[in-house]
Amino acid sequence: MIRHHPNTDLLTDYTVGSLSLAPTISVTTHLKFCDQCRDSVHSLKQLGGALLSDAEPETVSGDLLSQTLAKLDVESVTQSSAVDALADAQSTKCDDELKGIPNYLNKFLPRNGLSWRKLSSSVTVAPISVGETQYELALHKICAGGKTPVHDHHGVEYTVVLKGSFSDEDGMYHEGDFVVREPGDVHRPFATQHEDCICLSVLEAPIKLKGLGRVLNPFMKFQPS
Amino acid sequence: MALIEGQDWNALLQRVGSHQDKDAFSALFAHFAPLLKGFLMKGSNLEPEQAEELVQETMIKVWRKAPSYSPAQAAASTWMYTIARNTRIDWLRKHAKISQQTDELVAEELFDENEESSPFTSLIQTRNSKNIKDHLGELPQEQLQVLTLMYFQGKSGQEVADELSIPLGTVKSRVRLALQKLKLKLSPNGEGTEAYAQ
Repeated sequence: MIRHHPNTDLLTDYTVGSLSLAPTISVTTHLKFCDQCRDSVHSLKQLGGALLSDAEPETVSGDLLSQTLAKLDVESVTQSSAVDALADAQSTKCDDELKGIPNYLNKFLPRNGLSWRKLSSSVTVAPISVGETQYELALHKICAGGKTPVHDHHGVEYTVVLKGSFSDEDGMYHEGDFVVREPGDVHRPFATQHEDCICLSVLEAPIKLKGLGRVLNPFMKFQPS
Repeated sequence: MALIEGQDWNALLQRVGSHQDKDAFSALFAHFAPLLKGFLMKGSNLEPEQAEELVQETMIKVWRKAPSYSPAQAAASTWMYTIARNTRIDWLRKHAKISQQTDELVAEELFDENEESSPFTSLIQTRNSKNIKDHLGELPQEQLQVLTLMYFQGKSGQEVADELSIPLGTVKSRVRLALQKLKLKLSPNGEGTEAYAQ
């Protein structure tokens, strides 16, 4: 039973597409476990559909339809199956210990396999690069019974439990749980005794721009000229 | 009336998917292209030509993805909104050249929306769409403004706060009040239930 969820503010940012890559991936990963949040996101998308239906129409150029129709003929329908094939191919390269995590994540994992690096005696980390610098996306593995070093957060951190469970001072987190740690939170997670815990984590890079206490949404930096 | 229309769009979209029916596609285009253009341009700094480029990309994706459309999973407008949102995200990323590395990562893969729908879900959908229809017109201007900025322009709560020079907390409470007024079915899980306690 999933007890820890993204809140409505985060789900709204997610739904309208204002979260950047890594946080979006973490929320989608949670949705793979959580029917209720998936329903909430669907509700929020329905609102998007209603706002679209109620938008003030703007006349489009007279030939836009014919141009679009002309392009349909050269479209091939094989694209989406190519994506699935890619995901399948990659899933076969997964480490055994990652069996059972959502297939959705496979496409983001490095093609040559994950490179796990020791953070402490009981914690290893494998970075995942999706090409953005504002957030660090990674898998963390805590050995059964292992404790992580006490750490605090300079930026916000989202964690989704993929396998096993861990605890900290505030509670216990199981598969699918979505845990948010705000800047300034100090905690010391430890895995449960009988099994390793694997998490997907998104950490806001500890870079503070002066006079701008947050990271700009990369989608919005673009100003059409 | 609007409900009947809505069902028409669902049926047309299915026809595009099952028969590659260009007449059905043209009818959808005639209705949705101007809405999409209006939706994309409202308050944004997109040029009309750029908005039309996005409209075209969206409609081409509609054609390509229509075979996977199921009215049991989403109303046509919800489905179109999702495709328009993904198209805009990809378009902005492509033009901002944020990263060469992830050029192949598209929004559709990030959101991965091939969701299964349960009877429970479709009940929620029906209720949501009635509630939204009944109450959208009643929203105070300040709440509608915040929703419009977020949905139409893809702005985060923080970006809306910056643009309107109001605290982030005010943006959040306007969104939550609006969602309450619309009686949108949202899971109360993980909430700091202040907005739901009222």
